[in-house]
Amino acid sequence: MTILNISRRGLLGGAAAAGALAALPIPAFAQQARRGGRLVVAADSEPRNLNPAIVASNGVFFVSSKVVEPLAEATFDGLEGRLATAWEGSADGLSVTFTLREGVNWHDGRPFTSADVAFSALEVWKKLQNLGRVVFKDLEAVDTPDDHTAIFRFARPTPFQLIRNALPALTAVVPRHLYEGTDIAANPANTAPIGTGPFRFAEHKAGEYYRLTRNEAYWGKGVPYLDEIIYRVLPDRAAAAGAIEADEIQLAAFSAVPLADLDRISKVPGVEVVTTGYEALTYQLVVEINHRRKELADLNVRRAIARAIDKDFVVKTIFLGYAVAATGPVPKNDAQFYTADVPQYAFDLAKANALLDEAGYARGANGKRFALKLLPAPYFNETRQFGDYLRQALAEVGIDATIVNNDAAAHQKAVYTDHDFDIAVAPPVFRGDPAISTTILVQSGIPDGVPFSNQGGYANAEIDAVIEKAAGTLDETARIGLYHDFQKLVATDLPLINVAEWGFTTVKRSSVKNVANNPRWAVSNWADVWLDA
Amino acid sequence: MNRALSLLRRRLLTSLPVFLIVIVGSFLLLEAAPGDAVDAYLVSVGGDAGLAAQLRHEWGLDRSAWARFLTFATALVHGDLGWSVAFARPIRDVILERLPNTLLLMGAATALSFGLGSLLGIVAGARPGSICDRVLSVASLAIYAVPGFWLGLVLIVVFSIELRWLPLGGIETIASSRSGLDRGLDIARHLVLPVAALGFIYLALYLRVMRAGMAEVWRMDFVLALRARGLPQSRIVIAHVARNALLPLVTLLGLQSASMLGGSVVIESVFAVPGIGRLAHEAVAARDVPLLLGIILSSAILVIVVNFLVDIVYAALDPRVGASEERA
Amino acid sequence: MTRRLFSTPEGIAGTAILALLALAALAAPMLFPRDPLSIAGPSLLPPFHDPAHILGTDRLGRDVLAGLFHGARVSLAVGIAAAAAALFVGAVVGTIAGFAGGFVDEALMRVAEAFQIVPGFLLTLAFVSIAGPSLPVVVAAIALGAWTGPARVARAEVLSIRERDHVAASRVVGMHPLEIALREVMPNALPPVMALSSVIVAGAVLTEAALSFLGLGDPNRVTWGAMIAEGRAVLRSAPYLSIIPGIALVVAVVGVYLFGEGVVEASASRRRYQ
Repeated sequence: MTILNISRRGLLGGAAAAGALAALPIPAFAQQARRGGRLVVAADSEPRNLNPAIVASNGVFFVSSKVVEPLAEATFDGLEGRLATAWEGSADGLSVTFTLREGVNWHDGRPFTSADVAFSALEVWKKLQNLGRVVFKDLEAVDTPDDHTAIFRFARPTPFQLIRNALPALTAVVPRHLYEGTDIAANPANTAPIGTGPFRFAEHKAGEYYRLTRNEAYWGKGVPYLDEIIYRVLPDRAAAAGAIEADEIQLAAFSAVPLADLDRISKVPGVEVVTTGYEALTYQLVVEINHRRKELADLNVRRAIARAIDKDFVVKTIFLGYAVAATGPVPKNDAQFYTADVPQYAFDLAKANALLDEAGYARGANGKRFALKLLPAPYFNETRQFGDYLRQALAEVGIDATIVNNDAAAHQKAVYTDHDFDIAVAPPVFRGDPAISTTILVQSGIPDGVPFSNQGGYANAEIDAVIEKAAGTLDETARIGLYHDFQKLVATDLPLINVAEWGFTTVKRSSVKNVANNPRWAVSNWADVWLDA
Repeated sequence: MNRALSLLRRRLLTSLPVFLIVIVGSFLLLEAAPGDAVDAYLVSVGGDAGLAAQLRHEWGLDRSAWARFLTFATALVHGDLGWSVAFARPIRDVILERLPNTLLLMGAATALSFGLGSLLGIVAGARPGSICDRVLSVASLAIYAVPGFWLGLVLIVVFSIELRWLPLGGIETIASSRSGLDRGLDIARHLVLPVAALGFIYLALYLRVMRAGMAEVWRMDFVLALRARGLPQSRIVIAHVARNALLPLVTLLGLQSASMLGGSVVIESVFAVPGIGRLAHEAVAARDVPLLLGIILSSAILVIVVNFLVDIVYAALDPRVGASEERA
Repeated sequence: MTRRLFSTPEGIAGTAILALLALAALAAPMLFPRDPLSIAGPSLLPPFHDPAHILGTDRLGRDVLAGLFHGARVSLAVGIAAAAAALFVGAVVGTIAGFAGGFVDEALMRVAEAFQIVPGFLLTLAFVSIAGPSLPVVVAAIALGAWTGPARVARAEVLSIRERDHVAASRVVGMHPLEIALREVMPNALPPVMALSSVIVAGAVLTEAALSFLGLGDPNRVTWGAMIAEGRAVLRSAPYLSIIPGIALVVAVVGVYLFGEGVVEASASRRRYQ
């Protein structure tokens, strides 16, 4: 095998491989990449807005990250430059200087400059982006001393650590010349994005597919390898597994193949199951609590619920082992911020019952203490299944939960706008820094209607103070310390209950190479992905 | 032909009050939905109340239901179905793009269930009460009783995954730039399984009506007379009994068109066929009220046209009914 | 009537199947007193491996046999309730339309036509998404798409009955028209309307399954349709999870149909001999 590769490399010449090595390091033992081919992957939804600068969500990134690039991408040991080659924060936390990549052109041929970055940051990320509105709220100006330098200036000290952690997901750069002076939210480039990435957006046939084609003028040398990427829309969740087996698609990411089918499909010749490549895309299984209900405002009741949930069962049966039990609001696999030093609530029905008795909610004649309305988020099989499980788990301790099965729009409105729930099951995403999308889950004072935020009416001045302090703390160790306090406080007072954390799985044909080689692989640019003949 | 057209026009005109009921009824129903198009959009996007309010204003959702209905109705009178916020395109284009796929699927499935159903109905009805009759009856009922999505999935497992004879979904090979006959054959290959899944379910109905009709005809005096005249059994079955029993089947054809459109929602989802059944489900999920109204309206027109065609066929088959006569 | 029902093989088979199903539905709480949705054992246990779970367990470890028995209850209840609602609404609307005539008839029949030209499942789908999936809503939604058939049949019957002697006699006696319609006409118009019930019951059970497939079932109750829909995700690794409730569904639908057919035939022969 190795000999064959060496001879092939000798025959073809090392130019392409060497070029690729310069842009994207490939392990030395890798096979010689082959150019060309069409990769067909499964897509289960068709986002209406494909602009990652406005909509920072994995559903959008899955398609658009190949077209529109961020300033930097995550690697297994830090960050790797994309549109920026270097970044430097000032000691006072009031500015960050980005050195931008030279010789980059937009897909329409215009050169990429610092003006594009300034425009994207001020007009799009800060004003319109779901996550950027929080992280870049103090961004005042972006200076562009030359075409390849952008200096972000903040009104208040902003931790450089936070900005760095936000680079992969929040900093997709869009072309100023197409957006300036238009209604940005309604710009046609939102549905047919134009970027600097390795692939161009070719077409979207509603209900059928998205097609991306190779960007011949990509700045990365020798990449991309693929000619085309097709996202084939498969509306039925059971369809992806069959499509891979029949070789009609070559890859299904984000656990499109049901977990219960993985064991079987991994034995099909030519099919592989990959469980890595989602390390920086950790989803958290969370029980959201409406603190307006007097029973749930009682800490003993929340602790009883935490003790009634068998996390081990959830991990083993619902996630079939493709998850880990959670201890608090930061996932275990985050090396920067995680601490295990928080109060734990082991599965213990006797204790749960005792806590409920103590809280004054004795079992009635029918064995029930009180009734709850349970709303599982409909987005994943696992959140629904956990809803089914939670109803049974609560029944064991005398809480009578009724599941309300809403579709996405109704769930959104019921939980985040109308607060018409008692407990809900949510799958928030941890994005590398608690300040990006995690603290918002428990912080008070968030307006109604913000999805994936504290809409349970919870208010804890101590937690709010820690969040506020961490937002302005520049020293990285001190900031991490504050987030350790945050985790402790949340695990003590249980404004919500973290049950498990999971990464997704990818199922692919063996012919697809260079899969899962970074911790955000499914939503990275796939420039080095190639197809073996 | 001209006469048929003017008849069709008259039929559509007399259906106007019905259309009005359909539109107002559907609008009121959808108005009661929890969550609107903005809520549905924010599920994938995220955003606060400010963005939601801004979007509601841009999409005209902050106006009263009455005002929105007036806008919709006024545009409709001018032949304009309006704008789909879920697809960011004119509704007419969205529907017209998908309608042909559904028509193909339904047409072929109807042909299959009608053709095969009446054929098997004749076989079963040729000798009512025989083993063959009972087996066919129960077998067709059993297929009818299998949920459509499950039948579809099993067909996929057998024919697409295990045998690899047929593609497992879609309407044609994606981005293949085929054209002409080649493309037609490609589409036909893709339609085999969804048509089978949809057609087999309705087969039982035709079979049973055909069989029951034949059982009725057998009892009639003229059949006895034919028998007495010594005509061969096969000739009696086909030329006389089956022919007379065919009429109720034609009526059923019209009645089933609406039901089959409903059934296509599930089949189109299983086989990833971009048709209007699946579009309706997407419109409900996205709370795109005008789009769903457009779909309901076009399927209603489709059903009326099909029934009209059925009436013409009926008139041709049965000399007692004149084509000029309006049947309700 | 009963004797005639048993004179046809369809009648015998249908009655036997329905009796069996009714027995299962009634016995469910006795045989399986626990909530059929409770987690009873290890997950994805195949059938005939563990005497405690004869038909195995599903993804969460819920007993399939318990689900099957309790599912019989709920599925049949959904079917019968939906059919009853559709027949009731249809019979009342049809009777009123046929009896009143004129503008009322015209208006009611237009409404019925409006319901007929809209694909029933589309209406059901929209209604359930809007009202939220719970059993009463599912029943109402199915009835909403199924009442027009009974209404038409009832109207046609009423039109022929209202000219009969006993109706004319009631009129002469001075009975209130509404009383005549409901007490004299409707009971006589009912038998042909009832003949539609088997079709509606079978259709309702299948519609419930299709709704579950689209994620619009009631998660607090176990139905065969929901079991099949849930089992489809593991169709390849654990086919029994959808095949077992699938067989139950097929048997039930065939049973309902055969029974209906037997009844129609029995009543037809009764009429013939009258």
